[in-house]
Amino acid sequence: MTAFARRFFSRPTALFGFAAFAAIVVIALAAPLVFAAGPFTIVGMPLLPPGSPGLPAGSDVLGRNMMVGLAFGARISLLVGVTSTLGAIGLGVLFGAVAGYYGGVVDDLLMRVTEFFQIIPTFVLLMVLVAFLEPSLASAVIGIALISWPQVARVVRGEFLSLREREFVQAARVSGLSDRSIIFGQILPNALTPIVVISSMMVGNAILTESALSFLGLGDPNLLSWGNMIGGSRSAMWVAWWTTVLPGLCIMVTVLALNLIGDGLNDALNPRRRR
Amino acid sequence: MPLVQIKNLSVALPPGSDRALAVEDVNLDIGRNQIVCIVGESGSGKSLTAHAVMRLLPRGVAATGGSILFEGADLLKETPEAMRRRRGRDIAMIFQDPMAALNPVVAVGRQVAEQIRAHRAISESQALKQAADMLGQMGLKDVGSLLKAYPHQLSGGQRQRVMIAMALSLSPKLLIADEPTTALDVTTQAQILKLIKRIQTEREMSVLLITHDFGVVTDMADHVAVMRHGKVVESGATKAVLGSPSHSYTRALIAAVPKGESHLEPPPPSAPLVKVEGLTKRFRRGGLFFRTSTVTALDDIALTLRRGETLGIVGESGSGKSTLARCVIRLLDPDAGQVLLDGQDIAQAKEKTLRPLRRRIQMVFQDPFSSLNPRQTIGDILTAGPRAHGEDAREARARAADMLALVGLSGETMKRFPHEFSGGQRQRIGLARALMLKPDVLIADEPVSALDVTVQAQVLKLLDDVRRQMNLAMLFITHDMRVAAEICHRVMVMRHGRVVESGPTREIFANPASDYTKALLAAIPGRQAL
Repeated sequence: MTAFARRFFSRPTALFGFAAFAAIVVIALAAPLVFAAGPFTIVGMPLLPPGSPGLPAGSDVLGRNMMVGLAFGARISLLVGVTSTLGAIGLGVLFGAVAGYYGGVVDDLLMRVTEFFQIIPTFVLLMVLVAFLEPSLASAVIGIALISWPQVARVVRGEFLSLREREFVQAARVSGLSDRSIIFGQILPNALTPIVVISSMMVGNAILTESALSFLGLGDPNLLSWGNMIGGSRSAMWVAWWTTVLPGLCIMVTVLALNLIGDGLNDALNPRRRR
Repeated sequence: MPLVQIKNLSVALPPGSDRALAVEDVNLDIGRNQIVCIVGESGSGKSLTAHAVMRLLPRGVAATGGSILFEGADLLKETPEAMRRRRGRDIAMIFQDPMAALNPVVAVGRQVAEQIRAHRAISESQALKQAADMLGQMGLKDVGSLLKAYPHQLSGGQRQRVMIAMALSLSPKLLIADEPTTALDVTTQAQILKLIKRIQTEREMSVLLITHDFGVVTDMADHVAVMRHGKVVESGATKAVLGSPSHSYTRALIAAVPKGESHLEPPPPSAPLVKVEGLTKRFRRGGLFFRTSTVTALDDIALTLRRGETLGIVGESGSGKSTLARCVIRLLDPDAGQVLLDGQDIAQAKEKTLRPLRRRIQMVFQDPFSSLNPRQTIGDILTAGPRAHGEDAREARARAADMLALVGLSGETMKRFPHEFSGGQRQRIGLARALMLKPDVLIADEPVSALDVTVQAQVLKLLDDVRRQMNLAMLFITHDMRVAAEICHRVMVMRHGRVVESGPTREIFANPASDYTKALLAAIPGRQAL
């Protein structure tokens, strides 16, 4: 584990990604403790620029503290990003593992289902889903998980196709292990590397998707997220740049950090790729 | 003056390796018009010595001392560009795995032609003509269609011939052959070795042959150098080294080569434990809509196996011997026939009825690197089977420690992961895993073909000891007649999914009935001399 950590942190980009992401997590966790009043309280005149007294990030169109909004927005973005990714991984691993391990007709069937999700325009599907389920945090999470699991399924299936031919899998079958314990106990631990790597990238993607949904007004109206901060301030974009640029920067830094972590994990977990 | 003089050559490994120098202070001369063999086990530095001559050392590995004089010029001091020009023209190399060395998406003819055109200013069609001529000289038939074929369409032997054609297309003065026949069947190996010898004599060139097999050395070499832990422990004319080896390691290596003689007494007759009849397996190619071709991998196979007896299944790759093993142990579903275990037919049994019976037939696999789950400790690997059959975890661990002792490993092993062990140790762990389930039948699928000769001898002895102690019935799959002779009471020779002949090992070796068996026996390297 220490060798792995050393490999991971030896790349400056991975170190930066990790530090930035850790800072965002801390901010998200600390937000309700530091800003007990919550993000929706009006604290002064609208559209005060950053640096005004008590408003380091300025105020938005309704005179709310942007700083508090950004901190609370991090909670929603991370929550949606992580939970939807977990859902997508769960679904994708199940489909991919079963398809890859059994092959044949099972594989054909499951992969056709996977392709069905891959060939329709995903964002349109997502909007329809969320609108159908009524916009809320839960519907956004379910929707994002539903559009992002196919890529996990593809990767996991590929890993299983090659791993199931290994002799240790045959040895497990000969020992009389059940299919379930072969799939989850023997093969899956060997396929973890790519799953870990894509999941860090997927959290970033999910945050972007949630922002886009919220921007279009399909987010949870009772929660403040970076996306609906941008959406709500777009009319003031030309007179008060900070109302849109700051949440945009937050999204960018978070997604960038997650991608850097993903790259770092990929290199650290695949010793052969080391340069 | 010899063609190549390697003087005090040292090659350093990257920091953190198990030793600092892969090759240490090696001196070796390769004379004109002779074959020099470097023989040694894996990790001896034999391959890196050869790669150093070609200046093709892997990243992080570098020659740190000494010189390699080629007709007087030090290759270690050549510029990369000058070295590039030498490769192919002065020195050519062939590798162990011709499939990996050939480009899979370019037709064979173009690959050979490309090699010629990299060094000579001639047109594509001229180069192709020369390529065809070279392939013909390699004893390849139907050269016209071969030129247009892709590597995957050729057999292993054909591919290696193409590689040799490519290497010789510019008439190099030195050919380096790095284990050129290790990936090939015995009969193909004999043909390729004969080809290298013939071409060497015809062209009066020098050959540096890397091998781990003393049999190959006796058949091929004028001069031999024995390497161990990066050093040359003994070198000299082949006859002298073989006749009176001065170093104890050389003696051990020669002694470890199986002699192809059988000493085993067959066990007393008893009722067969396993009886196979009419076993047939076909593989179908194609998908959901296209059922194109069918290959019959097993055709009406019958065999019997008693307790305490080892039956060897011998054949070349594609003979169906591994398919047979996998049908008996039901990793594959046979299309027809019976596999009777104590009278109960398991050939068509459903997975549910089969699972409790699986314990009784166990298997030791070929590849020590893929047969143990890299993410599990040895303790978990050994106890997974017994726990699946409902054994108490603590009891299983206690037995696992005993079993490790039986195969010659310490109980300490339990906490460690597979990558911490050598190939031979891993095969011992694989055997312990099989024995944990107290099987009646043990199937060993080429269990020693990936191991060095000295380790091979140890593992074979262990298998035989265990067979005797536990009164196991053993099915031993191998392509190597020499190995079969060491351990099998009876052998069954297979070809193209059929049984060619079968009988007691000693009789088959003394009086082979079929031409195929005779060819297999004749192909054993170094059979006359050793």
